[in-house]
Amino acid sequence: MTTDIQAVTRVGASPDAGLPGDATVFSGDFIIGRDDLILITGASGFIGSRVVRRLLSLGFRNIRCFARPSSNAKRVAELTELQSEGIRVEFVKGNLQSAPDCLAAADGAKVVFHLAAGRGEKSYPDAFINSVVTTRNLLDASVRGGSLKRFVNISSFSVYSNQGKHRGRVLDESCPIEKAPAARGEAYCFAKVEQDEIVEEYGKKFGIPYVIVRPGQVYGPGNEGITGRVGIGTFGIFLHMGGSNTIPMTYVDNCADAIVLAGLRKGVDGQTFNVVDDDLPSSRKLLRLYKKHVESFHSLYVPHALSYMLCYLWEKYSEWSDEQLPPAFNRKRWHAYWKKTEYSNDKLKKQLGWAPKVRTEDGLKLFFESCRNRRTSA
Amino acid sequence: MLKVGIIGCGKIADSHAAQIRRIQGCEIVGVCDREPLMAQQLYKRFPIKQWFSSVSDLLEQSKPDVVHITTPPQSHFELASRCLEQGSHVYLEKPFTVWEDEARTLIAMAEKRGLKITAGHDDQFSHVARRMRSLVRSGYLGGPAVHMESYYCYEISKSGYAGALLGDKQHWVRRLPGKLLQNIISHGIARIAEFLPGDDPTVMAHGFTSPMLRSMGESEIVDELRVIINDEGRTTAYFTFSSQMRPGLHQFRVYGPQNGLILDQDQETLIKLRGARYKSYAEKFVPPMNAAKQNLGNVATNLKTFLENDFQMKAGMKSLIESFYESIRQNSPPPIPYREIALTAKIMESIFKQLEKQSPLLDSDHRMASTNTAR
Repeated sequence: MTTDIQAVTRVGASPDAGLPGDATVFSGDFIIGRDDLILITGASGFIGSRVVRRLLSLGFRNIRCFARPSSNAKRVAELTELQSEGIRVEFVKGNLQSAPDCLAAADGAKVVFHLAAGRGEKSYPDAFINSVVTTRNLLDASVRGGSLKRFVNISSFSVYSNQGKHRGRVLDESCPIEKAPAARGEAYCFAKVEQDEIVEEYGKKFGIPYVIVRPGQVYGPGNEGITGRVGIGTFGIFLHMGGSNTIPMTYVDNCADAIVLAGLRKGVDGQTFNVVDDDLPSSRKLLRLYKKHVESFHSLYVPHALSYMLCYLWEKYSEWSDEQLPPAFNRKRWHAYWKKTEYSNDKLKKQLGWAPKVRTEDGLKLFFESCRNRRTSA
Repeated sequence: MLKVGIIGCGKIADSHAAQIRRIQGCEIVGVCDREPLMAQQLYKRFPIKQWFSSVSDLLEQSKPDVVHITTPPQSHFELASRCLEQGSHVYLEKPFTVWEDEARTLIAMAEKRGLKITAGHDDQFSHVARRMRSLVRSGYLGGPAVHMESYYCYEISKSGYAGALLGDKQHWVRRLPGKLLQNIISHGIARIAEFLPGDDPTVMAHGFTSPMLRSMGESEIVDELRVIINDEGRTTAYFTFSSQMRPGLHQFRVYGPQNGLILDQDQETLIKLRGARYKSYAEKFVPPMNAAKQNLGNVATNLKTFLENDFQMKAGMKSLIESFYESIRQNSPPPIPYREIALTAKIMESIFKQLEKQSPLLDSDHRMASTNTAR
């Protein structure tokens, strides 16, 4: 592992550059002081880089960023430049699969924001080793360090089963977790369920204070593309599956705010928070706006009853044919992503005092603009 | 019931567990990974009796008849030796070993103990590869192979695998003598080894780092390789590995004294190349029609295989495992001759030794070597 403590002193660098204006400042309601060490894994990632900026804007002055050696060099450079007189932004490069790297990273940290995760795409072992094994290593390191006041585990909406729930009912933090995540045919879901379990297990066994944050679809500049909750383009034409469904979205800066508050607010240990913004668009509206503002393409609406039937048939064929077609589409997945569901951020607002600073309307404008720019530069 | 163990619970172990599950008369009695969580995740997703984090515990408690080793190649020799010493047959993922002498030692150990060992060259057992082998054995080529061309490409883009490998200077693939090449080219080399008549070919290797990788600051990884193999002037072969050429072929061409064959692994097609020519203008019309007919035939064959539910992505692995288990039960020759495994290791070692002699920084003066180091 290489530890690269940036020694550059810059005066006048704005720590909250790029953030929407807000008046929130360092508060006595936080569990740590402004000079306590904060570790952020996945710090150069899409959300992680915003979390770093947000912490700095709140007045925290001792930030350790952990990132892979292969992480986005531009983002690392941008974050490093946020250092200024009295503000330390330390960049530690390493691999969370390595226990020694985790020990060095967690050494002295009072709060750990654990955002690094493996998507795994289609590989269960890849997703697992980069989500669960890494989390376990970081938890072990935190236990040994003994100074931890909170471990913030970034989970996902994908862990909710949403099965057996009436159509249209609200999905909130009390909803059941997928009991057989391997059967979802989605490595990411499996890994995230297991990751949450190991965090809870360490909470019980070793008394690690933790909070679990489950963002919905995080969107914004840097994460272009339409969420699979709207539809899929796998078969040559975009199949619009969402219809009138509400899409559980959160603008990246709003999400970063929620994560930061979950790591700092007193009295929320052991809690789980879902993160979605207000005024969420329907799938149909989002698709229409995307086509209008980014690119025009043909799509075919698949009514819910039909998409459910297709998922059912795919699942059965996959079973019957010894997975000649992998179980990528199945009823569990339909319930999780395409069943009509409403979402709540009440707990987030009540217990953390969170409010979305970027309105969905404004967030979508920024998102579409970024999508257009990306298409132009591609 | 054949008792099966798996050591190493990473990505490829999933394929092994999935294919073993499809085979009658066997059960996975234990899986092992030194990282207990990895062993547990495989155990949770497949019908597996026990998980272990110690190889000794797996071998002593589960007593597997056969062990599949799916760990990084650096550990293959030691783990396979332990399994053979404990009396288990071994299915060793590719690359079989890091060095040729290790391959020969393992084969000798297996033979001495009356056990079987095989290499994970499962591409050679796909439906189309088996069709090709059957045609060659029927004498279609008209004699031993005169020339072969094996393409084994691996598309590297700036994201995904390349990002992980290129960004991590400690990645285990980098610690292999042949680095990226060693982890990938076994399938393409093994195809050539199968039809080489001799055991002592001359190997000439030429490798370099592609401009794309160089633009990413990479100078150690060779991702473009061209090899000429000459088996005592009787049979020759070209091997091509490329990360940049498109399409990224996985193709094998073999030409005999009378006819030739083209196998496309990705499309699972086999095309016969008739050696004799048609008269006059007939040569312009009949062969293309014949090729069209053969392509349609390939479509029909693939469709039939699909409708029979036997077209899984790793169908070749299932066939190889089944054949290997059958050779264990019947005490018959293993599906991949030991000569072929050793020759594949020999050619690969020769390539990597030649590349190693050259400067890691490559540009216009690409690595070029022409030696008889395989001898």
